[in-house]
Amino acid sequence: MRRPAARAIEGQELALVGVLAVLWLVLGLTTDTFFTAGNLGAILFNVAPIALIGIGMTAVIVTAGIDVSVGSAVAVVMVIVAKLIHDGGTPMPVAVLVALGVGALLGLVNGGLVAYGRIHPIIVTFATLNIFRFVALQIFDGRQVTGIPDTLGFFGGGGEGRLLGVPNAWLLAVVLAAIMWFYMRAWPTGRHLYAIGGDAQAARLAGVRVRRRQLFAYVLTGALVGLAGCVFIGTGGLVIQNAGEGLELQVIAAVVIGGTSIVGGRGTVLGTMLGALLVGTVTSAVTLLGWPSELTTLFVGVFILVAVGVDLLRARRRGTL
Amino acid sequence: MKLPKRDTGALEYVLTERVVLLVALLAVVLVWFKVLEGGQYLVAPFDAGYLASALESMVPLCLLALAELLVIVSGRGGIDLSVGSVVSLAGMAFGFMVGLWGWPLLPAAVGAVLVGGVLGAVNGFLTAYLRFPPLIATLATYYAYSSIAMVSNDKAPISTKPVQDLSALTDGVKLPLLPAIPLQVFTFLMPCLVIVWLVLTRSTYGRKLYAVGTNDVAATFATLSVPRVRLSAYVGSGLLAGVAAVVTVAQFASARPDAGTVGNGMALPAITIAVLGGVAIQGGIGTVGGVFVAALLVTWLNAGLLLAFEDSKGSQYQLLALGVVLILSALLNTLTLRRYGRIT
Repeated sequence: MRRPAARAIEGQELALVGVLAVLWLVLGLTTDTFFTAGNLGAILFNVAPIALIGIGMTAVIVTAGIDVSVGSAVAVVMVIVAKLIHDGGTPMPVAVLVALGVGALLGLVNGGLVAYGRIHPIIVTFATLNIFRFVALQIFDGRQVTGIPDTLGFFGGGGEGRLLGVPNAWLLAVVLAAIMWFYMRAWPTGRHLYAIGGDAQAARLAGVRVRRRQLFAYVLTGALVGLAGCVFIGTGGLVIQNAGEGLELQVIAAVVIGGTSIVGGRGTVLGTMLGALLVGTVTSAVTLLGWPSELTTLFVGVFILVAVGVDLLRARRRGTL
Repeated sequence: MKLPKRDTGALEYVLTERVVLLVALLAVVLVWFKVLEGGQYLVAPFDAGYLASALESMVPLCLLALAELLVIVSGRGGIDLSVGSVVSLAGMAFGFMVGLWGWPLLPAAVGAVLVGGVLGAVNGFLTAYLRFPPLIATLATYYAYSSIAMVSNDKAPISTKPVQDLSALTDGVKLPLLPAIPLQVFTFLMPCLVIVWLVLTRSTYGRKLYAVGTNDVAATFATLSVPRVRLSAYVGSGLLAGVAAVVTVAQFASARPDAGTVGNGMALPAITIAVLGGVAIQGGIGTVGGVFVAALLVTWLNAGLLLAFEDSKGSQYQLLALGVVLILSALLNTLTLRRYGRIT
């Protein structure tokens, strides 16, 4: 039924592109400032951490898992990296490697408990959300870390952190998303992620190493949390105690709005990137239009309901529900 | 399903009778902190008066844990992430009614609880009839409700004179031979516990809820209206969150728009207590008794930790304790279910 040319892009993604185009058109016509290079750059930069973590979260949710601990994990990465740079003057490449390693380690804890401890992912990550926050607060050992030298400029949103006006953090997210898109679409072990989300038991019988793939998804998310932590630090010289609070909800919102099914087995990284863009656009629009910023969360909530509702309708029409 | 094994009597009894295990753990916690107190390790005495006053923080948590009990038991991934937002929004509604519109206390309290019920009905309609996954439906309404609560009074709390007078609801009650127990325990918590217990164990509705949560296909063939039962579980969750909202407003003597969502929110401890109390996340299993003792355990553990560390360290260790307890109790639930096929 579907034409081969259209196969590279799913229905939900096309719909999202349409929604984004309409939103941008309306915002461009109603405000003077939306289509300025500064505003667009700011949107892309603000969306970058959500998009980065969303790449991993897509894999996690496709395997029918979930990770609500990313907000606290970001806090752990940020405080460790901030202290390293502030107290030890660690150079940037080392700091980034440490961030990746710490993030991956936290992901390993989640993945290990989910895959080998066989505890429900929401329970595991709800618990580690608390435990990671505890670890972060212990390392803080004070209220905040201030005066971090601008060594993470490459990840920042300022002049040094941009290539032809586009934030490096966003370019990084696009490149990683492209790699992940290829991996999940074309690589055998990437396809296995979908098989696990569809029916883990059947996948296991078909020879898929279910636990290893699950572990991979959480570790990948953790490593990307490490990168996102670098982006957050790149914005300024200050890391505060409640860093990352509520981040998990934004990331999950982006993934779900992008058409990934929360019960597993369906979804793409491309959709997640579009979902993150939509969340970023709405945030920017609420600010530009002078509405109270709390309305952003109302719009995000409604977008989640609409996106999932449309998906449910299509599933019903296909007769898979 | 595996047939239950009957070989290890004592172990099976302790593992499957969750209340027994929790009471034992409770005793361990109490003795442990008593020993620490004897060794001069605590910053204040861990005595009956302190334990009784700690019950105040248990009231909203236990109410929300009961709310999670209802929705998790209803099955199909049932969970309610929005309870914290419902506390915020129903609390703001309560604040408007009492503090700005001058309603008397009782109609306002009933109104706030009904607001909670309506918000729960939205969740229930989305999950039961439109078949949204509960995690997503309640995530979306978490966002929506918290946003509406924030903008309802332009981010400002409502703390006019009538609202401040509500703190009378939180006075202690002096009973013979006992320390002063917070009034809310008798006026809000006990009635809710008894009602939920009666509904779950002594009514046909309770049977239906467990049946739907255990196997909704079988329940459908048994001519139960599965969507209607599930919807009612979410309505019940909303009503209980509405009660918690009234309690929270009285405790703060102020209706705060972020009451249930500040920090990591109230849903997290509520889900933790429910799981610790033996509510199995796959549905169909869980008791009011288990949830109540689990709430008591978490409350007194938290209260003890506050005394065991100076300044803010105590509340940090509460985070660690909550996380570790949640993982361990989930592991325990899994093991018990796999081995004995039941938790009571």
